[in-house]
Amino acid sequence: MKRQTNGSRPVKLFLAVMGDEKRQNISIPLFAICLSLIAGALLMVLLGKNPVDGYRSLLQGCGMLMKEKYAGGKGMLTDFMSYLDIWTPMIFASLAVAVAYKAGLFNIGVSGQMLLGGFIASVTVGYSDLPGIVAKPLVILVCVVAGALAGSLIGLLKYKFNINEVVSAIMLNYIFQYVISFFILTFFVNPITRQSESVGENARLTLQNVEIGGMKTVVPLGFVLALGAVAVTHYFIHHTRTGFELKAVGANPKAAVYAGINVKKNIMLAMALSGALSGLAGATYYLGYLSSIQPKTLVSTGFDAIAVCLLGNSNPVGILAASFLITIITKGGMYMNSSIGVPQEVSSLITGLMLLFAACGVYIRARLARAADRQKQEEKSMASAEDGSAPGQQAAEQTRQEEVQR
Amino acid sequence: MTDIIVNGMSFALPLFIIAVGGIFSERSGVTNLALEGFLGAGAFIGALFVVLTSGWFSPGSQVPMYLAMVFAMIGGALYAVIHAVLCIKFKANQVISGVVVNILAIALTDFLTSQVNAGIFGQSSDKFVMTVSGRLTFQPLANIPVIGGFFTNVYPFEFIIIIVAMISWYVMYRSRFGLRLRACGDNPYAVDAAGCNVGRLQFAAVMISGALSGLGGMCFAYSVFGNYSVSIYTGYGYLAIAAMIFGNWKIPFTLGACLLFGFARAAGYWLIQLMGLPGAYSDLIMTLPYVLTLLLLIFFSKNNRAPRALGEIYDKGKR
Repeated sequence: MKRQTNGSRPVKLFLAVMGDEKRQNISIPLFAICLSLIAGALLMVLLGKNPVDGYRSLLQGCGMLMKEKYAGGKGMLTDFMSYLDIWTPMIFASLAVAVAYKAGLFNIGVSGQMLLGGFIASVTVGYSDLPGIVAKPLVILVCVVAGALAGSLIGLLKYKFNINEVVSAIMLNYIFQYVISFFILTFFVNPITRQSESVGENARLTLQNVEIGGMKTVVPLGFVLALGAVAVTHYFIHHTRTGFELKAVGANPKAAVYAGINVKKNIMLAMALSGALSGLAGATYYLGYLSSIQPKTLVSTGFDAIAVCLLGNSNPVGILAASFLITIITKGGMYMNSSIGVPQEVSSLITGLMLLFAACGVYIRARLARAADRQKQEEKSMASAEDGSAPGQQAAEQTRQEEVQR
Repeated sequence: MTDIIVNGMSFALPLFIIAVGGIFSERSGVTNLALEGFLGAGAFIGALFVVLTSGWFSPGSQVPMYLAMVFAMIGGALYAVIHAVLCIKFKANQVISGVVVNILAIALTDFLTSQVNAGIFGQSSDKFVMTVSGRLTFQPLANIPVIGGFFTNVYPFEFIIIIVAMISWYVMYRSRFGLRLRACGDNPYAVDAAGCNVGRLQFAAVMISGALSGLGGMCFAYSVFGNYSVSIYTGYGYLAIAAMIFGNWKIPFTLGACLLFGFARAAGYWLIQLMGLPGAYSDLIMTLPYVLTLLLLIFFSKNNRAPRALGEIYDKGKR
């Protein structure tokens, strides 16, 4: 009897750590993160690097730990602010994926919608000489509208023509990418950089070269907006009627129809909202973090956002945490490469593994449930055995009788 | 005209075999967005074989190319195991799994390519340089007007693809395995009731899908790119998915869709050259297959019927 308890102790411990179903929303992603960080550490060891140094340099690159030395006029704040600058579009993009996912839709076109918004805003507002106080809100407005239109087009194709949203989004991604590349190369190209002409400082959502405490740094205005978007999205999904309808459509469209919910309207709404958030991501990326658009490329942000959403359980707060982490790995990867020579591919590999383990979440959850069941049964039988073994024997007797009857 | 046929065929056929891979997976009921990752991973293994054994063969020999294709198929099939395990064993969301598999493929092959280059060849490079495949012209046939284009400057791999595609067609529509596989996509419970192992069938289908995609990827590496690098992930996998959907998940129609894409693309490039337009216009041509797909899907989506149980996670106890 005693040996049995000993044998299941690691299982018990693991179950206790992972917690009940509610806690598993957090503990399973954390488990995935730990596994991938361990895998990353092993990889660094194989490459002959010290993993502690590696992970430290990731944080240093993002301004969360002191570097050994800084160039003149730069400091930890500089790094941290530029980290916020690149984190901002990631938050928006992941929220975009999450809103669509709540309605059971998979918006893989975030990158395309970002590009569309960014391009239209650059061309219309970015090259104008409106005063900053008008231009900046206008950029946001243009991006939101452009993104929302692109998103609802996917929604329209979905409910009107029954075209899978993943397919139409991929098609639109390519169409946007190439058509915009054509316009950039024909009309707006900068002959030296081979990218689009830079937008004016008046329209840019990230202030450049601001001096704070003697250090020159960027100030990403969009970050405040992103935090606001997290709060609003959270409130919308969890505390409004429309948000509830959206979730109902995502959870079971047929049941939603019986409940009198307009599925078509909700599909359109979810895609429009998702597109609008992608547009915001585009605004903060192309007219904030960057100031120009590289032709023929879609940013990976929109695809990484799927990962972030998955890791954050498509919950806005979870997404905030997950995007925080993934951005550290992607941005810090550059510094990890330059400071201790770990190739940058290692950081993308860690992200990839994180996704892989996170995708196993359903399986882990099922296994945990099964293990917990078994644990309970074992305890029960053990308890009954200690009681005098009568109920256990009775049960065994009963099953034997049933078998005989069959 | 000849140019259009030559270029169209050499683009359409690799695309077609990738799409056939997609058909195998999706007809068995497993959504496959991972074709992009499969073709890249397969081509990586093939290219790795070529660079590792480059000393074994006399220069100019075509043998490594054929072996590379075999290895690309093996590599693709092995990489596809990830998708299969995630979807079938771990019951993950198949769309998410596809995206994850793609992202992982890019990260993994990029990392390994530079590691192999640095570790074995001592150079920092992110690509495996290979030759561009030789081309064959069949003299008497090539002189026939119009049709002659099909026999001029043909890549040898085009024949391999045609043969493999014919075998695939036979397996899919004339063998017991194929019948069961197609049944899995429509009603896995019926297949289970008939005494077959649904999981195993789907697993095999996804691996076949990986093998065929790997072959297609290797052909692209040998024709369009002439080397292996991350740039192989330019979205041909997604284009193949479009062709597959457009072809209604049937092999012959999908061939038609791929030929349409290939010829439309080749004709567009030809037109630009003819009119002397600047290079940027080729970007507009690049959108042709995608615009075509969208438009045709809008018109024909009523007739389009995806496998009924596509994307459903098969749960034996559900029913």
